[in-house]
Amino acid sequence: MNSSGTKFALGVYTGLFLVFLYAPMVVLGILSFQTGPEGGPQFPIIEWSTYWYQHLFGFTPPSRIAPLPINEALFRSLALSVMTMIVSTVLGVSSAQAFRRKFRGSGVAFYLIVLGMMVPGVLVGLGMALVANVLGIDRHWWGTAFVLHVVYTYPFAFLVMLAILNRFDPSVEEAAWSLGVSPIKTFRKITFPLIFPGVLSAMLFAFTLSYDEFSRTLFASGRDLTLPLAIYGTFSVEVHPNVFAFGVLTTIFSFALLGVYAALMTLSIRRAKRIAIQEEA
Amino acid sequence: MSAVLKLSNVRKSYGDLHALNGLDLALPEDAYVALLGPSGSGKTTLLRVIAGFETPDAGSLTFKGKRIEGIAPHRRDIGFVFQNFALFPHLSVAKNIAFGLENRDIDPVADPKVLAARVKDMVALVGLGGLEERAVTQISGGQRQRVALARTLITEPSLVLLDEPLGALDANLRARMRSELRAIRERCGVTFLHVTGSESEALAMGDLVLVLDQGRIAQSADADTIYNQPQSPSVARFLNCYNLFEGTLSSDAFIAPLGTFPLGGTSPRQSGKPGYAIRYDRIAVRPLTDTVANDEVRLEATFVADEYSGAAINSFFALDDGRVFEVESHLSQTTPNALTPQTRYALVWKRNDALVYA
Amino acid sequence: MTMTAATTSDAPSETTAKKVSDKSLWLLAPGILWMLLFLVVPMLMMVYVSFWTQTTFKISPILTVQSWVTFFTSDTYLSALWTTVRIWLIVLVATLVVGYPAALYVGLFVRNKTTQTVLLVFCVIPFWTSFLIRVLAWRPMLGKEGAINLILQALGIINTPIEVLLFSELSVVIGMTQIYCVFMVGPIAFMMGRIDPSVIEAAQDLGAGFWRIFRTIILPLTMPGVVVGAIFVSVMVLGEFATAAALSGRKVNLLGNIIVTQVGSLKWAFAAVVGVVLTILMGIVVAALLRVVDLRKAL
Repeated sequence: MNSSGTKFALGVYTGLFLVFLYAPMVVLGILSFQTGPEGGPQFPIIEWSTYWYQHLFGFTPPSRIAPLPINEALFRSLALSVMTMIVSTVLGVSSAQAFRRKFRGSGVAFYLIVLGMMVPGVLVGLGMALVANVLGIDRHWWGTAFVLHVVYTYPFAFLVMLAILNRFDPSVEEAAWSLGVSPIKTFRKITFPLIFPGVLSAMLFAFTLSYDEFSRTLFASGRDLTLPLAIYGTFSVEVHPNVFAFGVLTTIFSFALLGVYAALMTLSIRRAKRIAIQEEA
Repeated sequence: MSAVLKLSNVRKSYGDLHALNGLDLALPEDAYVALLGPSGSGKTTLLRVIAGFETPDAGSLTFKGKRIEGIAPHRRDIGFVFQNFALFPHLSVAKNIAFGLENRDIDPVADPKVLAARVKDMVALVGLGGLEERAVTQISGGQRQRVALARTLITEPSLVLLDEPLGALDANLRARMRSELRAIRERCGVTFLHVTGSESEALAMGDLVLVLDQGRIAQSADADTIYNQPQSPSVARFLNCYNLFEGTLSSDAFIAPLGTFPLGGTSPRQSGKPGYAIRYDRIAVRPLTDTVANDEVRLEATFVADEYSGAAINSFFALDDGRVFEVESHLSQTTPNALTPQTRYALVWKRNDALVYA
Repeated sequence: MTMTAATTSDAPSETTAKKVSDKSLWLLAPGILWMLLFLVVPMLMMVYVSFWTQTTFKISPILTVQSWVTFFTSDTYLSALWTTVRIWLIVLVATLVVGYPAALYVGLFVRNKTTQTVLLVFCVIPFWTSFLIRVLAWRPMLGKEGAINLILQALGIINTPIEVLLFSELSVVIGMTQIYCVFMVGPIAFMMGRIDPSVIEAAQDLGAGFWRIFRTIILPLTMPGVVVGAIFVSVMVLGEFATAAALSGRKVNLLGNIIVTQVGSLKWAFAAVVGVVLTILMGIVVAALLRVVDLRKAL
């Protein structure tokens, strides 16, 4: 659009918007270098130090501030997220595949699935806790919390796959059938490789949602904590900059993951181009 | 001659649209069959029903003596070449060609040496030498066409369906591929059913030409018969070389709004509706003052414009009711006189050259 | 080839049609079953338990409406309901007002596709830090000795620190807006990207000014994005309790907070009542929003 005045104003606004988004993170980053163990999570910075980073890894002498239970909680969070990712992606892919044909009740089925992402975690968590109570089942992160995580992430995976399959040209599948290849083998060798990027993003989505999820887990995990629950535990007690240090580290870790992903993508694209050029020569 | 494929009273509707309306056909073995149908005539639906991608609402399909309506596409042994080629984008040319042989349910070829040998033969047959390791996204349209063909032929089906196979190619390539397709088919000895909307393509390629009109086969004959003796006014219209008139039939003349055309000797064909057709190249243009012989028919019209196409001149006339009338003069046969626009002329043809329908 | 065509001609096409829908059913069954068992059943259980009798630490299946009466006759709980609705509305409008211009800029004004992606990625990056940590990060921002007050004082804009920034309803609204506004920007920017630029160019050629184009072309075409964003934000805000707990110092009590505290003291039946109230509220909101746009078609 040509109205450059409007464009400039909106550009400035977007800049401010990004500042708004990042401000707490910047503050968090600054405060993570607070001195410990007396320094609290507020300004002013008494003295710059990496105390809290060391505290995270257990390198500091014992103080009254309990370290975050990173090892076990981290393991549980990762395991839970991986399990959730696999199950919800499998469910998402197969449900989206079912929706490629019209069938009666597809409207009801669609909304039933999408319902999973529209019910807040508190409600579903409460309901599951009640069910566990009444039926006398124990609550565990790998049982009651796991099923709730899938309830939450499966609709996202489903919608992503639905969008991908809607744009998928079925004539390559029909071509495979006409060559005598069974539908199952066709799915394995033709359809799946072609929708794989979509499957990958569905998996990524599901993992991210599950990893940070805590309101469902709050009611349904029983005694062993996942990482978000461990952090939530510090809410009502005092907050210390070790939490901030942890936040900085996880953000850097996510950046690293993204960097690896981008590098792999660029490499594979470059490799495909190189093979093409070699062929020409 | 036994029929490799026989359809009987096949119906397929989409809501109110009757794509196939009680269709019967029989395809001979080892023949090149062309199916001519304008867009929207249901020709793609017909192919998809034969291949098994769609199920008919009613009717029977018999292939090599067996009923196949309920059988899934991958068990029918019928090959399909798609209009957009539908090549597997993540596989190379060689892998595309080998795919069916390697992965089919019945009799897959497991030995890589045998596979490689068969792929090599097929590559030579369709003329794709040197391109085996290329990605299918990096070859030209004509080459993709050949990959699609090779991929299907290597599985040695008993019938190959081709959905507008030359539609995506430019005119030069299309002309060349016509003869190549016929040659390839002859070497393989299998029946091709080639569907097209182009009447010149259908007439050029088919040993047998089927004309599809409103969900039924309107005529099934060799190209010569179709061109010279279309069975109904609809078929005549598809051929794009007949002037058509509606009207009523009396015992010795055809009465059209514009005039009465006396009939020649042959009895009218039965086609459901009265009609009168005269081919473009059977008409002579004469000055108004010229006399008309006893066996000729005369119609007056105003000359509008000429179209020169190298071997012939097509002249367009406006009839008194505003419709267009076309005359084709082949330059090897005659040297037509120059015509003046907006002048009236007499269009004359022999009574017997006209096709009359009852 | 003497076939009796007529009699069996219909049967094969029927069986293939049935086979097709059977396969669909098998593919769909696990997912539907999962949702029925682990979503519908817990919700139904919540409704059921809301009618159970609540003694001090136990509940028993004797049906009664006592807990319901307690909820609707108590000022505390009714004001919590009102607070929830109020904060939801404010945050919804705030995320829309804050997020829409940014989405407008990124989706429509930024021509370069790479820059667009980069900007969108920048908007998403904060999400990789745990939600709870991001909530906590607002405390040192908003406090009396927080970053905002320090900066404003250093710039000389104010002389004494603004106290109401932290531990008030305002802090909850600010925190929630920042955390959830990206869920507005995403869907809206997506719909912006789907607007055909030649439509806007045509309108400009015909002499329409920016506001006219915005009102008649851009706004209607991005409505599905607004609705999707509104649904996301509403679901999250209505179910909120952590932000309120962290930033309001127990002053702001949302329905979510009540559920958490009641569960903490094992008052299951009462928690269930609050849960059902929240569900009904959610149902009304989502149903109203879905009437504005048909989601399935938009996909």
